[in-house]
Amino acid sequence: MHRHSILPTGLGRSLAFVTLVIIIGAAFTAVEPRFLSTQNIAAVTRHMAANGLAALGLTFVVIVRKFDLSFAGTACFAAMTIGFLIAGGYDLWLCILIGVLAAVVVGTFNGIAISYFGLPDIVTTIATGSIAGGLAFLYSRGRTIFQNFVTSGILDLNDARILGYSVSFFFLIALYAVAWVFMHRTRYGASFYATGENPVSAYFSGVPTKFYTMLAFIICAATSALAVVLILAESGTADTNEGANLLMPAYAGVFLGAALLGGTSVLATLAGTFLITMLLDGFSLLGVPYYYSDGVVSLILLAGVVLFDARVRQLFADLVSFVRPSTQVRENRT
Amino acid sequence: MTDITTIHPVTDRGQSRMINRFIGRYWLVATLVVMIAVFAFLKPQLLDNSNIATILRSSALMAIMILGLTWVIAAGKIDVSFMQVAALSNMMTAWLLASGSGWPLAALGGICVGALAGLLNGTLIALLRIPPLIVTIATGGICASIAAALGKGTSIRIADPGPLGEMLFTNWGPVPVIAVVAALLYLISWYAQEKLTFGHYIFATAQNEEAVNEAGIPARSLILFLFVFSAVLSAIAGVLLAASLSSGQPMIGSSYFIDGLTAVLLGGMMLRIGKPNVLGTTTAILLLSVLVSGSAMFGWADYQRQIIKGVLLLVGVAVAMRAGRRISSHSQGA
Repeated sequence: MHRHSILPTGLGRSLAFVTLVIIIGAAFTAVEPRFLSTQNIAAVTRHMAANGLAALGLTFVVIVRKFDLSFAGTACFAAMTIGFLIAGGYDLWLCILIGVLAAVVVGTFNGIAISYFGLPDIVTTIATGSIAGGLAFLYSRGRTIFQNFVTSGILDLNDARILGYSVSFFFLIALYAVAWVFMHRTRYGASFYATGENPVSAYFSGVPTKFYTMLAFIICAATSALAVVLILAESGTADTNEGANLLMPAYAGVFLGAALLGGTSVLATLAGTFLITMLLDGFSLLGVPYYYSDGVVSLILLAGVVLFDARVRQLFADLVSFVRPSTQVRENRT
Repeated sequence: MTDITTIHPVTDRGQSRMINRFIGRYWLVATLVVMIAVFAFLKPQLLDNSNIATILRSSALMAIMILGLTWVIAAGKIDVSFMQVAALSNMMTAWLLASGSGWPLAALGGICVGALAGLLNGTLIALLRIPPLIVTIATGGICASIAAALGKGTSIRIADPGPLGEMLFTNWGPVPVIAVVAALLYLISWYAQEKLTFGHYIFATAQNEEAVNEAGIPARSLILFLFVFSAVLSAIAGVLLAASLSSGQPMIGSSYFIDGLTAVLLGGMMLRIGKPNVLGTTTAILLLSVLVSGSAMFGWADYQRQIIKGVLLLVGVAVAMRAGRRISSHSQGA
């Protein structure tokens, strides 16, 4: 498991990533000088927080080689739970705690059904996501909840700043730091990777693979609830589709990061999310209409996955060696 | 995923196995019959001619949209872009009509963009071997963006629903013409799936793609074809929806997404357990349509139906598992 302990495939890819960020940043700044203003950088870091949190949880699920399509629905459910409790006048931290617990219940259900009962992951999470999304309507029959939001203090999560940056950004960095240590510096993280790489050998090496699979789904649900707390803080109301927009950026963040840095890891997800947020922010500064944003994210994701996919590069390498037979032809069957 | 701790019973009483097999094969039909009986007993207007026509018409549109999806999932892949492909072809048709072209050209244009989306999916998945879930999430996002861009974020009205609109609302007794068309389409597909080697190849691809390839069957071309086929059928449904709604809707309704996947996967729990098939899909679509129609008569809200559908999907997976067969995992998107 040592190769997961530092950056997946070393310095080269990291340098390439930094270069890419600098090139994109320079291009945006050339067209729109406001891109590098402190105001905009603060906005980028704030927007990054919610998507980054959802992507962090999804990273765990992807590392154990599963998919979770339910976290957007789960996030909607958590959002309405929190909104309902805030409207009821409860203490903010209690509201958030119960909201996260509500998501954890859904995540645990996913985890148990998939790991212990062996149900197929995509089907199960589509079903639970649908159920959780439906349950979100129960509190207010689908109406927007806004009572007590201003007095509860939840807006401070969005507005409060440290050193000019939003607290939510520091929260994101702190959580990623914890996740990085856990995932890449402890044997528990190695167990997640082992479960994903080969569950049979992991099991015989003493890793309770089913437990780790379940844990991944629970973590995914919990972080999506945390992500939706930040969205609630930004919008100031709780809506039944508050978490629905988390799905696309989270998948894009995880898989773009994995493509760029050569493997799914906590840092790769952070890098992928950062790149996507930066691009989205740049395009919105240039005045690109909102409905292009999903398409832009999708295109970046596809381009990243295609260009950085090992198999595709092998294909091109083969093609080049075919065109120029003088170069050494590597024997490689796909 | 490889299951390591489930103990498969070696000896099993023949009789209980037969009962299990029977339940596993036909429980969906039984549920449909019971549901119709219960709804018809409580609300006799369910079986009015006009209501039957409505149920069959919506079922037929749904059936056309997800026929290709059935085979994609049967081949062990996943396509989550079908709804956005339908939305794109729907908007394309409306946009072409609004810019002055006739129905034949508009319909052809809608189907062509759908085919292009399918070609993109198929190329990336079959030739470049990128995980289908990632590819179709991304192409779905791109299609949704283009669809929204065509109408600048809103819907496009269609002045004249044309010959398709006339055809959609022509009934033979309680049976709409479009339902007959869909039934014929399914009959041909059933023949192809059960009687031609084509069908065997689909199910064989789900089992072991490499082995199918080694056996001399062009598995990649088959997968490419399945994705194009799926997208073209979704696009046809999108064109029909344009005529049916007399407008192009960029958000054609996420209900088609969850309903489509639920129908295919529920249908996969019938006849060939764990293998989506066209007869199972037909039954499941009828089940969902009766559920929607019946629950509307009771005045249930949309979200309540959403919860019921989710539960139905979960129960379907669980029942089929209890019926004693190992469900082949649909998680082969990895």
